[in-house]
Amino acid sequence: MNKTVNINLAGIFFHIDEDAYQKLQRYLEAIKRSFTDSQGRSEIISDIEARIAELFSERVKHDKQVIGNKEVDEVISIMGQPEDYLVDDEIFEDEPQPAPKRKTSPSKKLFRDTDNSYIGGVASGLGHYLGIDSVWIRLIWLLLVIGSGGTFILIYVLFWILVPEARTTAEKLTMTGEPVNISNIEKKIKDGFDTVSDTVSDVAKNVTDSFSGAAKNVSNAAKNVDFKKQSSNIKSSSKTFFDTIGDLIMLLFTVFAKFIGVILMITGAIALIALIVGLFSLGVTNIVHIPGLDLVDIANVGNTPIWLVSLLTFFLVGIPFFFLFYLGLKILVNNLKSIGNIAKFTLLGVWILSIIGLVIVGIRQASEHAFNEHVVEKQEFYMAPADTLKIKMVNNDSYGSSYRNNSSFKFARNENGERVIFSSDIKIIVKSTTDSLATISIEKSADGSDYSSAIERAKNIRYNYAFKTNEILLDNYLTTEAKNKFSDQEVAVILYLPEGIIANFNHNTRSFLNYRTYNGNIVSSSDSDHFLKIIEDDVECLDCPEIDVSIEGEKDGIKINNDGIEVKVDSSSLKINNKGLKATSPEVKVNIDNNGINIKSDTK
Amino acid sequence: MKIENTKAQMRKGVLEYCILSVLKDEDAYVAEILDTLKDAKLLVVEGTIYPLLTRLKNAGLLNYRWEESTSGPPRKYYGLTETGKLFLNELNTTWSELQNAVNLVTRKKSTKK
Repeated sequence: MNKTVNINLAGIFFHIDEDAYQKLQRYLEAIKRSFTDSQGRSEIISDIEARIAELFSERVKHDKQVIGNKEVDEVISIMGQPEDYLVDDEIFEDEPQPAPKRKTSPSKKLFRDTDNSYIGGVASGLGHYLGIDSVWIRLIWLLLVIGSGGTFILIYVLFWILVPEARTTAEKLTMTGEPVNISNIEKKIKDGFDTVSDTVSDVAKNVTDSFSGAAKNVSNAAKNVDFKKQSSNIKSSSKTFFDTIGDLIMLLFTVFAKFIGVILMITGAIALIALIVGLFSLGVTNIVHIPGLDLVDIANVGNTPIWLVSLLTFFLVGIPFFFLFYLGLKILVNNLKSIGNIAKFTLLGVWILSIIGLVIVGIRQASEHAFNEHVVEKQEFYMAPADTLKIKMVNNDSYGSSYRNNSSFKFARNENGERVIFSSDIKIIVKSTTDSLATISIEKSADGSDYSSAIERAKNIRYNYAFKTNEILLDNYLTTEAKNKFSDQEVAVILYLPEGIIANFNHNTRSFLNYRTYNGNIVSSSDSDHFLKIIEDDVECLDCPEIDVSIEGEKDGIKINNDGIEVKVDSSSLKINNKGLKATSPEVKVNIDNNGINIKSDTK
Repeated sequence: MKIENTKAQMRKGVLEYCILSVLKDEDAYVAEILDTLKDAKLLVVEGTIYPLLTRLKNAGLLNYRWEESTSGPPRKYYGLTETGKLFLNELNTTWSELQNAVNLVTRKKSTKK
């Protein structure tokens, strides 16, 4: 029992057995492949179909008869095998084709050569494609894999997936660059498949050579007797001239495209490798704990798992680069397997999901900084007027020895072995007070996603100071337990100093003082290391040098004092004071004062 | 070098000339052309003729018209165009020249032997 198919051949209806139908279809496919479009393929095919329909109708005696294998075989034997359709163009060419055109090797395609494979046949396939012995390709692969720390295996796998395997004989011939014609295919099949890859190219070449040799002989003979018409000669030679130019332009385009392809492929591959290395190292350190990496963990106030963030980033960046790589490879090698629509859309989906994921993570991180709250501790201490108060920073060796304000944070273990975050984000603000008691106020602040968490974080800041006789020792660091995460923890030390006392800020406070004074802060960094008398809303420097810069006295030099600025060089001088501006040189005198502007010049 | 290939190429070389000759007196459809050629043993399989016909038609040597058929699909009736006729005349001369030449050469060879 056989299933039948209904077909329409040149407008005539036939019942045909399914296997016979498949045979006929393969036959027509094979014929179609032996023509090019320029030969009028569609017309030839429809003529052939019409003839086959005619032959079938001769064999069908009544309406219900089904065409079987026997009929199809008969028709095929009448029509001939696909190679009989091949018109050897050389015979019919009016002029021999331009030499370079004929010399161009038949277009090769990249396939995986699984007959000669060690792993996936990628190397031997590339060897065929590039015309290099696959031993060298393998060597290069090996070097690349070792050199890149194994990540080049990924590129190999990509090639393995994307490059199709040479399965059919035609593909195997295309892979080695032999022209695919029926005789070659036949030859190859006859030679058997076990030793085929070694011998096929020679045999195939011989066959082609002999074939084209014969063709050339005939064509030469034909040329001598045929086509003496000058007109057709001129026409065809001009045609070939423009064809050649066209070919040349196409060749340039191809070379350019391939170049772009190489660049795209290399960019994609390098980016992918870098990403994989990054992902891999992050993933490992997440488990193994490498000290430096805890920093990332501490900053991660949103408590998003690191592996998730890195995976999302990997997809976000990696997928476009994968497509870049794929595009590059596709430009280079025109018979790449498509990765399939499902894969494409899945990748697109994953990419969009990663964007969404990262945005959510970002919002979570940002919301952790939505509230900035602070808690204040105050302590008063007695200061005898006219006493000198010394203010000094102290450091803790566990947290480094530098006396610099820095809002970044570091990770350490404190003396109890707890994991703590430390930062030197300390500000010193000095205010004057009419009170007889000095007050120190410690303001701790931190960010949080809501009021209570911000307060909680601020409370968990540890900051110490010590008060000795006439001396305040301030820590130059703040700490908090690692579990609190780093979220802009800051400490502001506000000193309310009674008017009349003298304060001396040690030079190590310089970085923690504000760089300028303003309403509410009367001591700036430049005031450190000096003895300052606290007066109402200001300080008086007791040991600062007078601002009276005088260089080289009354003769040449610059003099800046309460009167103004005076510059003297030889017989030229410039004077700016409350009277105005006066510039004098031997030839020109400029005077600006309450009389106006006066310019005098002595021309010699 | 395979004898079959050479034979096939020789045959293909004169095939165009033969097709034009068949159509010299009257128009014919493919099956008729095929019959003539097959009888003369110029053609073993039919497939060869289709690309040739398309080629000659595209070169302006042949044209065709459709005619309905009672037993199958409509038939393409091919005929010579004016250019085709000129072309054929020239080929006729060339052919007789070639024939003489080949005869001369082969006969010389055989007499030498």
